[in-house]
Amino acid sequence: MSRRGRRALVGVLAGIPQRAAAVLLTAILCVTGSALHAQAHDTSGARLPRVAAIDWGQAQTLTALGVPPVAAGQTEGYNIWVGAPKLDAATRDLGLRAQPNMELLSQLDLDLITITSMYASSESRLAEIAPVKSIDIYQRSGDVWSNTLAATRELAQAVGRSAAAERLIDDTEGQIAQFAERIDRDTPPLLVVQFMDARHVRVYGERSLIDATIQRMGLSNAWQDSTLMWGFALVPIQRLATIDPAVMVVMGPIPAGVEARLADSVIWQRLPAVRQGAVVHIPGVWSYGGLPSATRFARLITNALSDDGAARSERGAVGPAAPVS
Amino acid sequence: MTPGRLCALLALPLCILVSYTLIHTGHGLGLHAMLFGDSIDAVLIRYSWAPGLAVALIGGAGLGLAGVLLQQTLRNPLASPTTLGVASGAQLAMLSATLFAPSLLVWSRGGVAFAGGALALALVFALAWRRRLAPTVLVLAGMVVNLYFGTLSLALILFNQERLAGMMIWGAGSLTQDNWSGVVYLLPRLAAGLVGAWLLSRALALLDLDEVNARNLGVSLFYLRLASLGLAVFLAVCVVARLGNIGFIGLAAPAIVRIAGARTFKARLLWAPVFGGLLLAIADQGLSVFVGDSPMLVPTGAVTAALGAPLLLWLIPRLSMVRSAPTGGTIDVPARRRSPGRFIAVVAAATVVMAGIGLLAGQGATGWHWPWSLPWSEAGAWRLPRVMAAGAAGMMLALAGTIIQRLSGNPLASPEVLGISAGAGLGLLGLLLFSSSASTGLSLTAGTLGALATLGLLIAINARSGFEPERLLLTGISVMFLFTAVQQIVMAGGDPRVQGALAWILGSTYSVSLPRALVVCAVAAAMIAVTRPFAAWLDLLPLGSATARALGMDVNRSRLLLLLMVSVLTAGATLIVGPLSFVGLLAPHLARILGLTRAREQMAGSIVLGALLMIGADWLGRELIFPAELPSGMVATLLGGSYFMWRLRRL
Repeated sequence: MSRRGRRALVGVLAGIPQRAAAVLLTAILCVTGSALHAQAHDTSGARLPRVAAIDWGQAQTLTALGVPPVAAGQTEGYNIWVGAPKLDAATRDLGLRAQPNMELLSQLDLDLITITSMYASSESRLAEIAPVKSIDIYQRSGDVWSNTLAATRELAQAVGRSAAAERLIDDTEGQIAQFAERIDRDTPPLLVVQFMDARHVRVYGERSLIDATIQRMGLSNAWQDSTLMWGFALVPIQRLATIDPAVMVVMGPIPAGVEARLADSVIWQRLPAVRQGAVVHIPGVWSYGGLPSATRFARLITNALSDDGAARSERGAVGPAAPVS
Repeated sequence: MTPGRLCALLALPLCILVSYTLIHTGHGLGLHAMLFGDSIDAVLIRYSWAPGLAVALIGGAGLGLAGVLLQQTLRNPLASPTTLGVASGAQLAMLSATLFAPSLLVWSRGGVAFAGGALALALVFALAWRRRLAPTVLVLAGMVVNLYFGTLSLALILFNQERLAGMMIWGAGSLTQDNWSGVVYLLPRLAAGLVGAWLLSRALALLDLDEVNARNLGVSLFYLRLASLGLAVFLAVCVVARLGNIGFIGLAAPAIVRIAGARTFKARLLWAPVFGGLLLAIADQGLSVFVGDSPMLVPTGAVTAALGAPLLLWLIPRLSMVRSAPTGGTIDVPARRRSPGRFIAVVAAATVVMAGIGLLAGQGATGWHWPWSLPWSEAGAWRLPRVMAAGAAGMMLALAGTIIQRLSGNPLASPEVLGISAGAGLGLLGLLLFSSSASTGLSLTAGTLGALATLGLLIAINARSGFEPERLLLTGISVMFLFTAVQQIVMAGGDPRVQGALAWILGSTYSVSLPRALVVCAVAAAMIAVTRPFAAWLDLLPLGSATARALGMDVNRSRLLLLLMVSVLTAGATLIVGPLSFVGLLAPHLARILGLTRAREQMAGSIVLGALLMIGADWLGRELIFPAELPSGMVATLLGGSYFMWRLRRL
């Protein structure tokens, strides 16, 4: 029995009167079939699978693979925090990532829903709507870079685009290598921080995509202390005082009011990197993202470091406004 | 044990911690190098460690002082700076400013927090003004404002987790300092507060007498309350603005010095600030020595509350030596409705209509659509369990609230205040912290275990005192403190899984499946049937245990039995809609305000009101900002809270 037939049957069984069921059947045949879901096709003319991605990193990777999701969680937030590649304007917003709208999902004629194990509590109910694929980068063993590659391949396989995954991986590796060549070989270790408020920063270290990208570029990370499961440590700024001289990379967005307060912060002014003027600013990168985030970080860091670093930091803050350029 | 000795006892470990840090971090820097040197270690000690210590002492003292003033003025040993909604007002202001007017934060962070706290207090005062700031009304108003603002804050965080990360660190109370500006800001304000308290102390001490006597001695209660509350709140809001949410010290410090023997108000006025300062400083120093190099931020304020909650639990059995002053006059309610049955039937009919709307009306991929234009499997099948669960949870919470309010004779009591919900919440947050992924079954188990553990704790601590209501509530409040603290620590940590936990905490029927909804409905129906015969007890218990006993009741056993029922009801509802849906507080009150004064009427009335409120809230939550959802518990709190405030003002 076809999907639509089954739905109508369920409707009848659920006690909807015969006439309403008839009206309903016609309505579905008219509406759902044509008007609602204009089928998308890729360049070769093959029909694209209709995928809903709850997680931003997966929405990003799917877009990069050429299978943009028809629906994603918190699309507005995606455009602010992940940014590139942009989501299709027609992408449906599903609401909170922790609570994607089930009613809406069930009306979208999906072929696949992708999640991470962060959303495992919804998995069984999502499976009633469409096949669910759960793919992790962080909540599994192994290093982040190989997990990201594996996740890209699994995602591509699930949407039947394995070749695209290999192209994306080759492209990413190639671009990162190119960027790495532009960077001075004896660049000191990088300390990548993101301000939470004027006294606390996230420092990216072990088990983060940022750290993995730094390693791929042949650079080293100044933060060798432990990190949380998500690859960052959340520390007060005095913890940075005892880190050996490094280039401090301040990743945006900087919360309002922080810069003014740093001017009065004796500790901040006394940090080795700040004293030596070795601070560069880059716009934000979605640190839980996929390969596009890695490429983006590599490009931003290369541009920041190959500019005259000292002149940049004397000019003061550069990229606090929007996290995404 | 005298308060002086207690403080000396606390000062000792503080000295050890301080000398350890100086020796360890200082690497044997001489005193001169420490004071004037330019090495990074000397700078850290001079501009981070020393101001941090000073700020902890000053902040703790300020909160301790504020707590003493509030507890004396409100004649309530459970009052704290958070009672009047000050901290939640400050927090809501900071969060809104971050999202909607960041330039205000550039201008002055402290100013924004101060304005928010003052606004919350103004609202509380406005609500209690007609009753000349009577303590009961003030505390009730403060609680509703707290709930209201707290819920709004959590909602903002739910939808803007990334942008509000920094504010969550503030909310958890991190004392990190990077120069002396915090000390310069707080010290003169504390001094002013001390002077003010000293000036008021003679008049305030008279409040130990009852109201009539105090008035006969020529005290203008109204102006005295205004001055004392104003002073306490000023102190609290200064500390909160600068250091974040550290409400616990304001509750614990006065309570502990009181138990340690500070019987008179003046003694408490002296020792509570000393004790509060020492307590906060020890917590801060201890944390930086023991977990200073962890990758996770360990915020002092929240950790103090988390560690302090067990301390409070330990103290409860020792509270018997303290007879707290009577809280003074209950709120009078409108006369009994003449035909309660008809009124209840009308509300029940409204509930059925609302359930129909909740099932049939809604938005989909093409906007609003007719109920028959979509197959059942694409709309109704998703709505049915939610409507059922919302209704059942609303009924259970309302019933539990009615029982606990009558059992304790305390209008502030609610199932949430008993700590059972918080216990379930703790179980869930613990699971989130220690397991990488959680299935529904596992979270249910963790939540149930948490609720059961809390119940066990309640019984273990209170069995000997015969489940005296005031102690029961104090036990519950300790568990709530623990839960709030753990929640703040988790949120400050920036874990991306916070969103899911937060949605549940705010009370959402999102994850209810049909089998679970059926189970909850069955439990609700069974419990309603079980509790019905106990209405007679509930008519007697509010008259006081002496009266009840004289009328032939076994008060202890009936309290235990009722407590068990409340626990089952609360645990069942919490697992569905989370620990923060304050239907259990609001529905019984609404029933009472609407004239359902006898136990049986109030029970029936609040059950239907609870169901109506939750089903309505669930539907609104689903449709208001479709496709995103507002948690139903949150909508219920905002709806019920608005109505409640409006009624309260007209009391």
